[in-house]
Amino acid sequence: MDMECDIIVIGGGMAGLVAGTIASKNGFSTILLRKGQSATAYSSGAIDVMGYLPEATEPFSSPEEGLTAVAGLLPLHPYSIIGYGEDVKPDEVANAIIGRARESLLWLMTSLSETIAPLIGSFESNIHPITILGTTKPTCLVQKTMYSETLEQNQDSVLLFAGFTGYPDFSSSIAAKTYLEDRIAIGASPRKVGGCVLQLAPFGKTYNLSSIEIARHFDHKDSIEDIIEQLKKQVDQFGATHVAFPPVLGLKFAIENKNILEKSFGVEVFELLGFPPSVPGMRLQLALEGLFKKSGGKLMVGHEAISYTMKENQVTQVIAKAPRRELTINTKAVILASGKFIGGGLQGDQNGIREPVFNQMTVTGAYHSANDVIPSRYTNRVSISPEGQPVFSCGLTVDPHFRPVREDGVEWARNLFAAGSILAGYDYSTEKSGLGVAATTGYSAVKNAIDAIKGVA
Amino acid sequence: MSDSKFDVVVIGGGSTGTAVVRDCAMRGLRTLLLERDDIASATVGTCAGMISSGLKYRGEPEIMKMCSSEVVHLNRIARHIIMKNPTLVPLLDLSVAASDGDYIDAYSEHAEERDVPAMMFITPEATLEIEPLIHPDVIASVYYEEFFIDPFRLCLLQALDARNHGAEIKTYCEVIGFEKATDEIRGVIFYNRVSGQTETVSTKLVVNAAGPWAHKIARTSGANLDLRLNKGTHVILDRRVVNVGITVKAIDGRWVYLFPHENTTLLGTTALDTWENPDTLVATYDEIEYLLQSIESIIPSIREARIIRTMVGVRPLVPEWNVPEDKVTRGYQVIDHENGMISFTGGKLVMCRHMAEAATNIVVRKLGIDAKCTTHEVPLPGNEDDVDIEALSAQYGISMHSLERMRARRGTEMVKVLELTKDNPDWKTTICICEPIIEAEIRYAIRNEFPQTLNDLRRRLRLGTGPCQGTFCTFKAAAILSEELDLEGDDFLVDILDFRAERWKGIRPSMRGEQLAQEELAQGMYSCVGNLDQSDVDYDPKPWEEGN
Repeated sequence: MDMECDIIVIGGGMAGLVAGTIASKNGFSTILLRKGQSATAYSSGAIDVMGYLPEATEPFSSPEEGLTAVAGLLPLHPYSIIGYGEDVKPDEVANAIIGRARESLLWLMTSLSETIAPLIGSFESNIHPITILGTTKPTCLVQKTMYSETLEQNQDSVLLFAGFTGYPDFSSSIAAKTYLEDRIAIGASPRKVGGCVLQLAPFGKTYNLSSIEIARHFDHKDSIEDIIEQLKKQVDQFGATHVAFPPVLGLKFAIENKNILEKSFGVEVFELLGFPPSVPGMRLQLALEGLFKKSGGKLMVGHEAISYTMKENQVTQVIAKAPRRELTINTKAVILASGKFIGGGLQGDQNGIREPVFNQMTVTGAYHSANDVIPSRYTNRVSISPEGQPVFSCGLTVDPHFRPVREDGVEWARNLFAAGSILAGYDYSTEKSGLGVAATTGYSAVKNAIDAIKGVA
Repeated sequence: MSDSKFDVVVIGGGSTGTAVVRDCAMRGLRTLLLERDDIASATVGTCAGMISSGLKYRGEPEIMKMCSSEVVHLNRIARHIIMKNPTLVPLLDLSVAASDGDYIDAYSEHAEERDVPAMMFITPEATLEIEPLIHPDVIASVYYEEFFIDPFRLCLLQALDARNHGAEIKTYCEVIGFEKATDEIRGVIFYNRVSGQTETVSTKLVVNAAGPWAHKIARTSGANLDLRLNKGTHVILDRRVVNVGITVKAIDGRWVYLFPHENTTLLGTTALDTWENPDTLVATYDEIEYLLQSIESIIPSIREARIIRTMVGVRPLVPEWNVPEDKVTRGYQVIDHENGMISFTGGKLVMCRHMAEAATNIVVRKLGIDAKCTTHEVPLPGNEDDVDIEALSAQYGISMHSLERMRARRGTEMVKVLELTKDNPDWKTTICICEPIIEAEIRYAIRNEFPQTLNDLRRRLRLGTGPCQGTFCTFKAAAILSEELDLEGDDFLVDILDFRAERWKGIRPSMRGEQLAQEELAQGMYSCVGNLDQSDVDYDPKPWEEGN
């Protein structure tokens, strides 16, 4: 079967969906190929821009501060690619990067405002939402259900963590202990923190509850009533001003449920950042897919790009495979946003690290060839540390237009662009920069793709 | 000597040490076990669990005979933690069979008492029917059967049974010296790593079962002991990729094997003489390739399997020079230092009970006590009866798969775990999905089996040993441990970091394929979301994390 479009996006996470939506909104017919679930759907939903410099231990106070540091210190970072644009003056590099990231995130915030995953936070300062472990992390934007501004501001705020019996992903008692110890150590409020456990039987089950099941349960009208009744006693007894839930308040109606809970007790309610399976990650994924489809883009789930046709330095066709068919799609440009190892954009074995669709050159975080590195050689002895694991900085290297380049530094094709975590030069886990890089590079790559198509036309 | 608190202090909680403490306690001695880390935390915890018929040691007929009778004893006292692996030696040319033909007779001589068939040749068709992954050019196979025990549970059950017989078990207590009078040991000085205190206990005798540290313990007491330390590495695959065990000759003519083991498959081993600190050893690229290339000659598609980690241990061999590792006797030595200490060198897992009996015989003789060994007759806890998984599944509403895995660890004792779910139905929640393990068993283990860390829970329950390598259970199990032991928030985070560090030790050397995605996810959870890479908790770097 043959299909036709202006732009093919390979990969359905943040980078691909941002790129696809913008392409489609600008009037370009767009097909997005998604093999399986994206890493975005596994994420906590927090849109990190830049939390820490590699190996640093002090977080940046704002994305702007972080990006200024990237511009000055990390020339190989995906954010820095923006600064190499032909129209960027040498003394304007940092501003160009900051400007583009701000533009991308504002676009994202505006676009998501009417979805199930509206965002709060600002580009002017990082926030420090709480996680299900009771720790905090710096990030730029989170979903509106996932942060309370007043918690730390009010001297006399009292926080109650609420967990559920039979739901192993979250322990309210240990999260409360961890968070309180942290507050005491830095001398910040709240100074009173506790935990409680609520009973729940979504679909008649009282154990082995998953985040998704609880969220679906809360999406049913009136199922929140039972929780209100149980929580009322706990809130009154503890004198709580704030209640923190694991991120399960609903896939569709989290905001409504938050509002109902807040009205019932006169307290602020918010969700914590959590681990996969992640309800906020799925909300973000579904919201982004909604934007793409609404803009007229064609989302093809379960389709894996497997090869391509090239003519005169241009990719003219992408061949995609689904369980029962193979498609040939004619295109004018391609955006490769297939992710890192989770997404399958990169694969590695004892012979080296590969990009499986186009067999692009891969590089390490230091831009040495990664085509024949043994993955374990690019790791540190310590598992969890600010130094991270360098193998996760491997990926593709691109020109100022975000086009993957060959060994000689020249673009591999005039109309192939890359975005998101397939790019080399950063470790999103330690930097806390994942979805920010994805959004910004997706935004930038598609702008270049559009320009390229216009130029050709 | 009469006012000693203990008759005997056993140093080392491996297979031999726990067997000794059990034997001593069952013979009525006042017994203490001191282990510097956890039960089964060193050599035995890195072995394949084979209670070998002694096939590799056919040059030593007495040892083969002893191995065989020990298999019979273990099957009597611990059959609930024992599995049988049929094993094939696929032959691609006849030279292998011709050069090693005598092992068939040696193996078959004692086969009947172990209730296994005599070793036999089978056709290529039968070979490929049993295991279709074998190279199609196979011309014949040798078929035989070996038994495998859960080495962690064996050690733990021996320790728990010793406790049931009055012994005291102390883990995280490292021996640092001895009190002596006229060259005789009168007391043992140890550092308690949990309390941070140095303590002394008086004793009449000491049994040194410290495995690869036995020479150091002997030296601390003023005695001399030679050991030959030998590193062995396994590569672990994510599931039972073969139906039966496969053994092949490696590039250097040594035998290596691929054995289905619990939910995984073990590929091992290497043998390298070592003088390193055993705590710092990790697998090397050469060892991993040696194993993969060796097995690849018979199972050509082996690299398509998902490697989840590597595992490294150190064999404390009898100190023979001028012989390769596999020609060193697998017999053991019991050495009386004539200073109140008795030490072991050599031995195999299968012989641990026999070694204990030999040493305890010396102990009782020295103490002037007449008490017979019964360790080969009395079942270990959980082996009292059969367990009806189907009935239990219906009664408690838990999947048969979960219960079968629990049975393989606990036998009849699993009923005590399941009883907990009557008052706490939510404890039926699965915490480790790979194994799987339910919350009730984790809480039962914490309350009854003295774990201090998640790593100790791994040894008791196989927590975090599956394909995800603890990605999804580390934080859940850490919360349960914190709740049960009433730990502070900092301890909770340290427990998570410790367990990630221990898993990473084995993941890192072989990380490739799907395990790259798995580790990206783990980093995403614990560093990116949890921000634990920035945590300022008091984390002690592990021995293998230090240096460059």
